[in-house]
Amino acid sequence: MSKDIESQMRAALRPVAPREEFSQKLLTGIALERPELKPRRLGAGRRQPLAWWLTASLAASLVLAVGVHQRLQQQRAQQSGLEARREVMEALRMTSQKLNLAYEAVKSQSTSLTDEHSGA
Amino acid sequence: MRKFTVPLFFVLLAPALACAAPSPKLIFPSFSGLAQKATESVTITLDPALLGLAAKFLDGNDPQDAATKEVLKGLQGIYVRSYSFDKDSAYQQADIEAVRSQLAAPGWNRLVETRSRKTHADVDIYIMLDNNQAIGLALIASEPRQFTIVNIVGAIDLDKLHKLEGQFGVPKLDIDSKSAAKPRN
Repeated sequence: MSKDIESQMRAALRPVAPREEFSQKLLTGIALERPELKPRRLGAGRRQPLAWWLTASLAASLVLAVGVHQRLQQQRAQQSGLEARREVMEALRMTSQKLNLAYEAVKSQSTSLTDEHSGA
Repeated sequence: MRKFTVPLFFVLLAPALACAAPSPKLIFPSFSGLAQKATESVTITLDPALLGLAAKFLDGNDPQDAATKEVLKGLQGIYVRSYSFDKDSAYQQADIEAVRSQLAAPGWNRLVETRSRKTHADVDIYIMLDNNQAIGLALIASEPRQFTIVNIVGAIDLDKLHKLEGQFGVPKLDIDSKSAAKPRN
């Protein structure tokens, strides 16, 4: 009984050569499907907007970077200018302070000389 | 050959003569030892580029800024070194000697020399003239707890400096351009 089943199964599962039509259909089917699966053609349609966005964002980033760089340069120049202005004011203030010192000394000297003369 | 020798000699001599000419710009020592001892130190170095930049940031409509702008015209540099100490005699005269010795060079003329017994403040003002035009000013003020050196390089217009009177507390020194041309040495 079991041998019958076994022989029946073997007979059913035996390798069978495909018909010629099958092979031809399969090859035709592959050939027809290939253009749809072609990555280049498929990608070309989708890449174009991607490339456009990429270019646009790169250009925008470049413009932004140049703008930020210029702004930073302006800020740095302004800071240096204000610092230089502060230093000029400080230098002139100190100079005038010391000139004042000299002036006071000259004044007191001339006052004492005048007093001496008037006393004599 | 001789045709080229004489001009070549002068060409080679010119830089040497230029180096020998006294400069209104003083060479300051580093004063590093004093800076460490000082409670307060001021170091101002304004070269022509910085003076030009500072002038751009002065408001012409503001009287003080306008007067400052006028003074800055023709200036090539302002250099200040000032050190304050918390006790008397914290610095030696030798510390200033390196600067003072430069002012003994020909070209520099002492304009004012004051010695105050009351405040113990000594102020020396030197001026360098070129064709009766002040091209350099040096000021050394030594007080018991402070010493200051100011060096202004460039065409100093004393009339314009007068205009600063009252703005920075610059007093009337009775210095005019004519008297500056005949300084005491």
